[in-house]
Amino acid sequence: MKLLPLSSLILAPVMLTGADVAETAHAGIAPDQLQFFEKNIRPVLARHCYKCHSAESEKVKGGLTLDTKQATLLGGESGHPGVTPGSVAQSSIYAAMTWKNEDMQMPPKEKLPDDVIANFKKWIEMGAPDPRETKVANANGGKRVIDMEEGRKHWSFQKPVKQAPPEVRTEGWTRTEIDRFILAGIEKAGLHPVRDADRPTLIRRIAFDLTGLPPTPDEVKAFVADTSPDAARRVIDMYLDSERYGERWARHWLDVARYAESSGKEVNVLYSHAWRYRDYVIESFKKDKPYDQFLKEQIAGDLLKFTDKRDQAEKIVATGFLAVGSKGHNNRDRRQFAMDLVDEQIDAMSQSMLGLTLACARCHDHKFDPVTQRDYYALAGIFLSSETLFGTYDQLQNSNTSALIELDRDAGQVSGLAKIAPAEVAQLKSRYETAARTAEEARREAFAMRQQDRDKAGAAAFLRIRGTRDNAEAIKADLDLFHEDGTPRTLVMGVLDRKTPFNSPILVRGDIKQPGEVVPRGLVEVLCAKGEPLNISPEGGSGRIDLAHWIASKDNPLTARVMANRVWLKLMGSGLVATPDNFGVMGQKPTHPELLDHLAVTFMENGWSVKKLIREIMLSRAYQTGSAYDAANFAVDPDNKLHWRMNQRRLDAEAIRDAMLAVGGVLNFYPVDGSPVARAGEGRQALLTLQREVTGKPHTCRSIYLPIVRDQIPEMLSVFDFPDASLVNGDRETTNVPSQSLFLMNNQQAQGAADAFAARVAKFDGNSSERLGYAYQLAFGRGPNAQERQAISHFWTRFQPQVAKNMGGGKDAKQKADFAALSAFCQSLIASAEFRYLN
Amino acid sequence: MKMPSFSRREFLKTGSNGFGYLAFAALAQQQWLRAGAQAAGPLAAKAPHFTQRAKHVIFLCMQGAPSHVDTFDYKPKLIADAGKQAPSAAGRYGSAKLMPPQWKFTQQGRSGLWMSELWPELARHADKLCVLNSMTTDLPAHPQAFTQLHTGTTQFVRPSLGAWSLYGLGTLNENLPGFITINPPGNAARSYGSAFLPAIYQGTKIGGGGAFARRFGGGEQAGVANIRNSRHTTEEQRTQLDLVQALNKATMQQGGGVSAEVEGVIESYELAFRMQAEVPKVMDLSRETAATQALYGIGEQETDTFGRQCLMARKFVEAGVRFVEITHGSWDQHFNLKAALERNCHAVDKPVAGLLADLQSRGLLKDTLVIWGGEFGRTPHSQGDDGRDHNNKGFTMWMAGGGVKGGMNHGMTDDHGYKAVLDKMHIHDWHATVLALMGLDHERLTYRYAGRDFRLTDVHGTVAREIMM
Repeated sequence: MKLLPLSSLILAPVMLTGADVAETAHAGIAPDQLQFFEKNIRPVLARHCYKCHSAESEKVKGGLTLDTKQATLLGGESGHPGVTPGSVAQSSIYAAMTWKNEDMQMPPKEKLPDDVIANFKKWIEMGAPDPRETKVANANGGKRVIDMEEGRKHWSFQKPVKQAPPEVRTEGWTRTEIDRFILAGIEKAGLHPVRDADRPTLIRRIAFDLTGLPPTPDEVKAFVADTSPDAARRVIDMYLDSERYGERWARHWLDVARYAESSGKEVNVLYSHAWRYRDYVIESFKKDKPYDQFLKEQIAGDLLKFTDKRDQAEKIVATGFLAVGSKGHNNRDRRQFAMDLVDEQIDAMSQSMLGLTLACARCHDHKFDPVTQRDYYALAGIFLSSETLFGTYDQLQNSNTSALIELDRDAGQVSGLAKIAPAEVAQLKSRYETAARTAEEARREAFAMRQQDRDKAGAAAFLRIRGTRDNAEAIKADLDLFHEDGTPRTLVMGVLDRKTPFNSPILVRGDIKQPGEVVPRGLVEVLCAKGEPLNISPEGGSGRIDLAHWIASKDNPLTARVMANRVWLKLMGSGLVATPDNFGVMGQKPTHPELLDHLAVTFMENGWSVKKLIREIMLSRAYQTGSAYDAANFAVDPDNKLHWRMNQRRLDAEAIRDAMLAVGGVLNFYPVDGSPVARAGEGRQALLTLQREVTGKPHTCRSIYLPIVRDQIPEMLSVFDFPDASLVNGDRETTNVPSQSLFLMNNQQAQGAADAFAARVAKFDGNSSERLGYAYQLAFGRGPNAQERQAISHFWTRFQPQVAKNMGGGKDAKQKADFAALSAFCQSLIASAEFRYLN
Repeated sequence: MKMPSFSRREFLKTGSNGFGYLAFAALAQQQWLRAGAQAAGPLAAKAPHFTQRAKHVIFLCMQGAPSHVDTFDYKPKLIADAGKQAPSAAGRYGSAKLMPPQWKFTQQGRSGLWMSELWPELARHADKLCVLNSMTTDLPAHPQAFTQLHTGTTQFVRPSLGAWSLYGLGTLNENLPGFITINPPGNAARSYGSAFLPAIYQGTKIGGGGAFARRFGGGEQAGVANIRNSRHTTEEQRTQLDLVQALNKATMQQGGGVSAEVEGVIESYELAFRMQAEVPKVMDLSRETAATQALYGIGEQETDTFGRQCLMARKFVEAGVRFVEITHGSWDQHFNLKAALERNCHAVDKPVAGLLADLQSRGLLKDTLVIWGGEFGRTPHSQGDDGRDHNNKGFTMWMAGGGVKGGMNHGMTDDHGYKAVLDKMHIHDWHATVLALMGLDHERLTYRYAGRDFRLTDVHGTVAREIMM
């Protein structure tokens, strides 16, 4: 396994403490020195520096002010003293003036004349006499001082506590404890809850929420007929137990896990093995794996106890969470790549699991939350002490590759590839050997040429070497997918501990060239009780296991709340906290804090069971209420923050697509093994192969199994607001844009789905009115009303003749026109608002 | 604040099924009362922060990094020192030899702007050009610099310049996309992406590469996705759409008569239907006169493609599109500079000159900022015997129209053209300046995401006021 040369990050920190500065500062100033300052220094500072570096600056740049002696000595955010009396080497403003360092040249537009710079040197060497004795209160070199005790008082940093549900006045409305919290809010605002949803609406809502699919006509019929008080519970349990449930809820998690099968960024390298993580998430939701366990596995599955090889394999696959993020593979600077990778991991983990934007503290203390740069680098050390294995192979535009984790053949994992014949393996091998020889020859030739004539061995020769080597590497990558006997190897993206753990220095402004103090690996201070040990024990390996236990803990104030809010948001259409990925100071406060705590604590008491949490919410009257408009309520609470009605919700892209296929009876429920991305291989041709596979044949699998290549999201999904797969996203956009209308009217997929739907309706045994009813049942779970029947018959009498006429008349034309009209009618149902909205 | 006019909802009155216009008007009014001007939709034109000089932008993006010392950055010292060792300013290229510009420079226009002979047509517009000679960007690597050119960052996923512009100003014609990118390179979705901004602000792609490049609508020419219906006549489609809208109306009534969501669906269908008519019309160049086509070099083999794209850009701008970008690739002359750079310049010279002339004659140039440039420049020394390497420390872009002064150079590189030494314009500064020309304050154009306000320029950016009229 390859290790990056991280140890080179450790450089002796150059810091000067405040005490040193104070000791060398002068109290009295000799008159000639004072004159020197007034004549040669102060005017220059005032003219060239104060605009950005004084108390009067509109905006102080870099936290540096130069209008007092105190602040001039202290310096700015960089942590380096501005001026150190007697030492130009430790006076950062002098270094900036000389323009020696390209990244720090001051004043920025024009270098000061040499004699002025010489005066500053002289002044610093004479001890930087400075009469500007004004004291600035709380001078801190531009840094915000974070008071952890104050910080811990933020609502979400305190542990959730269960409180008794409030008393309510309206009798008979509440069914569960949730309802008392909700009703109390509604009553307090002087509003009233609206009527319950009718049965067909309710089962459609439940079915889509739990399975991402419309209920079948039979399911609707049975539910409408079931008048027992337990009817809702029964139907909820039925869908919770269905295979389809895992596929639906896994997708919600994949949104916050910013799951994708390629690197994104500048060079979109394919991740052929990412799909294993997707399957792991589906399986976890299906089995209702306790959420705390689910999180632990994703952070440190490789370090957890396991029962057998299969169990171990699953847990390793879970760490794919840390490996599938977006990466800039073409970064020539490997240390920068390593730090960017860690940053991405901290960002994804903290937003998805904790609802915190910890990555903001990479370059400076968090601007809003009580999180320090020290906290960040304590976490960074944990991830730097782990090796992220994401695979990919060496190419012109990919300078950052890694190994993958190989699992045993008997670990019980599915294969994403078909077995090939041993002869094919041998053939690949011989092709590789030939290609490797060609590459070696190209290298030697270019080298020989370079010996003769330096100028000739230019870019052309380089490209030839690179081209031949890339070719060899690509074949090698394909070869590496198989055992000698042609069976595919089980390769996994994930994370393992490095042999030697590593503490990270704080990087000043996040710059790898400016390492500061080294901080021990540890946890986020504000989320730990005062005095609680933060650091990872030196024997503790990377510390990921400690991190996992700390996040997935009942003592962590955020974890359960964040997940309870995510589930609430998906079921109710808006979060109790409107910013599901940010529970920090800049996030929204909860509309119902006691309810959120109730849900969070109950969630933990119920063994972190997501299914129980879902069931609890769905059984509430708040969930089962109607979505009808009510003028009086609307006037007071137009955004429905109080949940006086169910929000009308747009289905997400996957549900719309799956429903389009389902109503036509052509949705293939068989889970896809692997992914088109895996089958495309890792070779040079992969993207082309993938393109052929994705665009060439109609995919009828469930949407969750479609290939998710960053920035090349399948059109059907992207047009309906599939989120940016590089970002954590707990609340998708729902736009209403013309491109969606164009898609549903004109795209072949939409037309194809309409044809399948029409063919199914045409086969239905009954008269035209019954067929119409059947189409309505399939699409909306209800029959058409009189108004709709009239509109449809109006359509039919106009549309069918138009088409028939355009087809040139005749018996054949009439039949074709009949089907065209039926298909256009079915397409209209799919295209209608009702199809894509839940009431 | 003015009450919104409901003209966009006119169809509701006239739609063949006779929708209840009053119900919609009541709803819309309610929404307006609730959400203020936002009820007009996220694309509605918005007031700028301050004086707006450019209403539209056409960005001619030369992907691959054109050589500045062979085009717009005249360096007599580079000619004088030809063949000498590169000076220390060249950094890691210390042992390379300086290569003089391979084309003759002359002064053009009344302003006497220095341009190389690669631009015979554009030279006639020298007095319109504001040449930015002191551009810098962070990294000398194509993908990163290309991303930074468009989003300001090489590291994070951020919205593109066009998306920010559209977010800031809305569009002037809601029958068309507000941000159109023609021929974007593959794997450069960031260059027109909206990242965390609402998806509606992302660029609509016309043509362009990418492994999944799609053929749209079945026509020969690349266009807006799904803009053509291959099955039905317009009349048939209208009949079908009337059914869809009747069903939507029924849905609305069942939900209590008020639903912003359903109303949104109804509107988006009508807009889409109008776009179907409008987009192909704007993209149809055949109605332009032969003289106009010739002006852009349409019909001449070398200039036909880019000429068509430039003409299309003019038509989009004329129709109210806020931001149009056209990418022209392969300016990466590590070798074969002499032939390849000449070919590239020839391919764009006439079309660009034609665009400026055409915009001018239609009175559009004063409101339209035309920008030319790539992600960085090239080294003054040679690579091999006929090429130049990447140079991010000093390079050239130019702007014209849209309230910038013409016939001037802004900033300067050193004697050989390695580094910007005067009035440096980093990409952040350039972004700040482009936004300022559009009337947007780069420090006030913010969007709240993940708990904080984001800007195109992050914490950087200085507006170059001196180049504005």
